[in-house]
Amino acid sequence: MANKSILGIRRRTLLQAGATVGGLQLASPFILSARGETPVKIGMVDPLTGVLSALAASEVEGAKYAVADLNKKGGILGRQVELLVEDSANDVGTGVQKTRKLIDRDKVDVIFGDVNSGIAYAMSQVTSEKKVFHIVPGGHTDPITGTDCKWNVFRICNTTSMDAAAITKQLVQQFGKRWFFITPDYAYGHTLQDAFVKNLKAAGGEFEGDMLPINTSEFSATLIKAKAYKPNVLLNNMGGLAQVNCMKQFVQFGMNKDMALGGALFELEGVEALPAVAQSGWWCYEWWWNQDLPEVKAFVADFRKATGKTPTARHWFGVVAVHSVRLAAAKAKSLDGLKLAKALEDLELPPDVALQPGKIRYRAGDHQLMSNIFVGEVHPAVGNKDNIFTPKVVVPGEEAAGTVANTGCVMKYPA
Amino acid sequence: MSGHATEAPPVAAAAAGGLPRRLAGLAVLWLVLATAPLWMPLIGGYDALATRVLVLGLVAMSFNIVLGFTGQMSFGHAAYFGLGAYGAGLTLKFIAASTPLALLFGTLLGGVLGTLFGLLIVRRRGVYFAMVTIAFGQVCFYVAYKWNDLTGGYDGLRGFQRAPLHLGLATIDIAASSRVFYYFVLVIFALAVGAMALVLRSPFGRTLLAIRENERRARFLGIPVERHIWLAFSVSCFFAALAGSLYALLNNFADPLALHYTLSGEIVIMTVMGGMRAFWGPLLGAAVFVVLQDYVSSMTENWMSIIGIIFMLVVLFFPRGLLGFMQRRDAR
Repeated sequence: MANKSILGIRRRTLLQAGATVGGLQLASPFILSARGETPVKIGMVDPLTGVLSALAASEVEGAKYAVADLNKKGGILGRQVELLVEDSANDVGTGVQKTRKLIDRDKVDVIFGDVNSGIAYAMSQVTSEKKVFHIVPGGHTDPITGTDCKWNVFRICNTTSMDAAAITKQLVQQFGKRWFFITPDYAYGHTLQDAFVKNLKAAGGEFEGDMLPINTSEFSATLIKAKAYKPNVLLNNMGGLAQVNCMKQFVQFGMNKDMALGGALFELEGVEALPAVAQSGWWCYEWWWNQDLPEVKAFVADFRKATGKTPTARHWFGVVAVHSVRLAAAKAKSLDGLKLAKALEDLELPPDVALQPGKIRYRAGDHQLMSNIFVGEVHPAVGNKDNIFTPKVVVPGEEAAGTVANTGCVMKYPA
Repeated sequence: MSGHATEAPPVAAAAAGGLPRRLAGLAVLWLVLATAPLWMPLIGGYDALATRVLVLGLVAMSFNIVLGFTGQMSFGHAAYFGLGAYGAGLTLKFIAASTPLALLFGTLLGGVLGTLFGLLIVRRRGVYFAMVTIAFGQVCFYVAYKWNDLTGGYDGLRGFQRAPLHLGLATIDIAASSRVFYYFVLVIFALAVGAMALVLRSPFGRTLLAIRENERRARFLGIPVERHIWLAFSVSCFFAALAGSLYALLNNFADPLALHYTLSGEIVIMTVMGGMRAFWGPLLGAAVFVVLQDYVSSMTENWMSIIGIIFMLVVLFFPRGLLGFMQRRDAR
């Protein structure tokens, strides 16, 4: 007790307190907002860890590329743009928590995310509660722009129904009507399989299938079941790394000789992670880099120069998300959530953002981007290592989506 | 556990500094908690983060009734926390838009199931006790994961909102303001922690310490050891479920990961890091864990590794946890 001061504070306590305060000084620069004119803040929540991480990394990279490009050209409404990225860890609860954090702490103007449908869906509830403008770049489950659509939520990637409608005819015509589904057991898988089943039944087909956890890595039980069913087509609806693992085992079991492969999405990130023998099947691409349009060629060249990579659909989602905010803010002359939402409704993307043929717009009725769906065949690389897909049919978004009434969306605005 | 037999019981250890010192400590603690919304923004925090600290602090403190005070290792406490969250969420979604009712049903769901489950495990000790608790937690997890129609499965339970409190004359709007909700949680936290302290200071609580220190001796003294462990487990589950209900209200959301063994592990980390022999240790551990997680996860996607390293350092250098370390220093 001899070394105690009259205040009862010991030297060591004081040192510890000093160290704590010092530590906080180190931490604060990450937290305090930038000084000077406040930038436009965009918060992006994506599963940087977990089975969808490759897709998420591309979306974030696309958004970062667009933000850097935009900041060189004067930003949004003359203000610089700051992109704050948070990891949802492919977990819905974490995604919700991170969304609240970006809104409550960082006071972001706009929210982007998530690749995972379930997280995107849950986030839309948070953003509408907080009245924050929200773009879903790559979460496909239908209700986000369907039965649960919200005035503040817009989506770039297709709905699962759109993808299923676009490819079912091709698969039935080419291979037959007996299908086996391997589907992840969450929002994306549920709506995707429902949409496929609806289209298949209309064509008079039959099916069997398994619903598996989103992060499944071992598929032998399901593949044995699939083999016994002797389907014409195996629809691998898994996402990211789970899909890659499933494909590997599919080939190892020699099942690629017995049945065709197909489904909604088999993205460039996943195809490139597989050996050539597993690069096959008929699939939807929501954007494709190898198009014979001058603005697409210019974009691909510039993107390759900036990042050293060929842009994928996920990159394009990130790019479109950033430019959508720019276009909406320019039209609304404001960053107010409601004004941005009104401005983006029926807004047609300019060719250097749309990067595909036709008129691409956010439909006012359900806030869904009506972009083309490239239906075609995945194959081992031809010439360029990224040339693993050849589109055979381009289905216009509106044709695949059907009417707004069909989606079940009734848009309600705050009073 | 017998290695610590000579150590003073925790409540007495806290008292070693003398009553005025202990009261001063408590006053500072409550002052810090009561003013959290004011100073949190200065260090990059926000209201919801402060609320998370309280909620996870409450579940860690309730877990500590079993670990720190009874000496049993439960590795499935997320189950009762998660059941509380689902109970509250399902009440708000399907029964009535009433926050008190949600808290009541959430607490009952987790507490009663935990109590019933406790009957099955009180005869198990050590690693077997831990393993059975993990198993029960995972059963709850898979039920919530697979029961898409009721729980929303992996996507979680959505579509409910905490409702404002109607107190006859006045209405407290905890729904719209995260600050008001923080104080609401603080009041519940204070009541719960007060009740917990009463339980632990009662003869029943002293008996738990006796069991922890030397179970065989307690048995020879005629103490019904199994019944005491069961009761302690049950009390702990009720408090954990209350924390879970508050968690559902905080996020307006519940998901299966709230039942998963990874969260059980995090609860153990918070408790051990803060100090399992001190009443307030788990709260400190939860504060450090939650705030670190919040900061570091914004900086790097490898935040789990950093938390892991810090946990290892704490276990290596402060085996009694952060609070245990500070108290021991003071008691010298």
